[in-house]
Amino acid sequence: MADFLSGYSIQYWLESAPQGYLLGTEFGHHAGEREPEALLEDKALREQSIRTTVQLVVGERCALAASSGLINAAPDEGSKRFLATQTLDEARHVEVFTQRLFDLGVKKAELEGVIQAHANPHLVRFAEVLLEKVDRKDFLGGVVGQNVILEGMAFHVFEMMHAGNENVNPKFAHTLAGTIADERRHVGFGENRIGGWLREHPERKPEIERMQRDMSYHMLATFAEAFRDAPRPEDVARLRVVAGDGGAAPKPATWQGRRLDDLPPEEMEALLAGTVLKEFKIRLERIGLQYQTPARP
Amino acid sequence: MGGPTCRDSVVEVHDLDPQEFLEQVHSFEFWFHSVEGYLAGTQYGHRAASREQPLSDSERDRLVTALCNYCVGETAALEGASGLIAIAPNRLAKVFLSTQVVDEGRHLEVLLRRLADLGVRDPEAEVERRASASIREFKRRLLQLVGSKDWEAALFAQNVILEAMEFTVFQTHARSADPVTAEVLAGIVKDERRHIGFGENELGRRLRESPHRRARLGEVKRDLDPLVLETFEKTVREIGIPASERPDLGRAYLAAVARLGFA
Repeated sequence: MADFLSGYSIQYWLESAPQGYLLGTEFGHHAGEREPEALLEDKALREQSIRTTVQLVVGERCALAASSGLINAAPDEGSKRFLATQTLDEARHVEVFTQRLFDLGVKKAELEGVIQAHANPHLVRFAEVLLEKVDRKDFLGGVVGQNVILEGMAFHVFEMMHAGNENVNPKFAHTLAGTIADERRHVGFGENRIGGWLREHPERKPEIERMQRDMSYHMLATFAEAFRDAPRPEDVARLRVVAGDGGAAPKPATWQGRRLDDLPPEEMEALLAGTVLKEFKIRLERIGLQYQTPARP
Repeated sequence: MGGPTCRDSVVEVHDLDPQEFLEQVHSFEFWFHSVEGYLAGTQYGHRAASREQPLSDSERDRLVTALCNYCVGETAALEGASGLIAIAPNRLAKVFLSTQVVDEGRHLEVLLRRLADLGVRDPEAEVERRASASIREFKRRLLQLVGSKDWEAALFAQNVILEAMEFTVFQTHARSADPVTAEVLAGIVKDERRHIGFGENELGRRLRESPHRRARLGEVKRDLDPLVLETFEKTVREIGIPASERPDLGRAYLAAVARLGFA
């Protein structure tokens, strides 16, 4: 275990994140990068971006509360120190996505109101299921909920958003790239740490699988609602043309072998949910849990 | 980008209005900028080129005991700061405390590594064996305050009393320690300065707005002072501070706390 945890030390984190892929960034992106004018000037697209970013802030606030809360429940010093780095990663995510809301024109005094108005109720419930475990100092349940389920979901959501923004909004794509690198580390810790503990405590499996089913239900319901008001392909095409500065439009966005620009929102939702669930099943099997299918939202 | 950022060299944070000042200094960006300067190129808190100085058996033994006590202090700080995030009243305080959490985790890591470098086979077990009763009791009471969700009292115990105690001890010890330990402690002291600043700023503002809270904090101080002073007594013996300098440690701590009006 000592060797495994040495890969999650603060020294390693300092060298790979602040002194590595975050070096030279400002709020997660390259200095001086801005949201595209075309996005800021288009009321519908700007509002849609605000709604999407609010969900990211809500998810990251949950991750911050969970990772900091789990430190006091962690059974060893090495895990506490890893969770300290995760706490700061999550706080950084809260900060960079909050900053994006300001960049999209949300006034500081209105921040909490905007978050309250747009937070998806299913995402809030998803967070509550996890934080109940954290409040009870349930380290095992908390790490599965946080580092396997929440982080696993965030990882794919960010990847898909990154693919969609890479050619039209480099500022946001760069912000997402740093968070994806962080999430990869968090998921790795969860998988590595939990397998051994579950083997020692097999009696905990049913309860943790129940939590997974509840969290998965709220995750799928969040996706369904989020894509209900996602921009249509024609709106995205408009942004892509403007982002191409009147010349040739940027190359098409692809993720998981599909051209995102051509997909209507309901197909994007199915692609994201399918990818997340497929990965979930693999990860859960790796740590010795059986995926529980939730009711259809 | 909204306003100026801490990376912009023309920005002097103390010229900013109070809210903008907090937005700047309670951010990951500010932390990142601050630690870059003194942590870049270090390995576990010191430069690779720093030379070990030979220690006698008794010097090494006393240093190990001192470091074991510091580890309990830093574990208390790590668990305390992480617990404070849940009860922090706003986003900026939560983000600042997250930077403090990683600072405290780093302190614990570099101190445990120092113990290993000094030849301690199982540093965590050694901490359990050697740490003093007073610092353990301090940790218990601090975490009790955090658990009771009393923001002002817990922040006072954590970011004023504990941080001022560590700041005073580490700064004093760094002056007489071997070069590697001195470098590790000097890096920690730089972080502690930031943490004390946050505590003083947050509590100072709250006390100005609601002076009645002072009585509660006075109670916390009276409760914890004997443990702090007992810890000082033991530490000065371990780190070999000359008798003539010993009262300074208590005075320096009391001066730090007195800045908030607690004599």
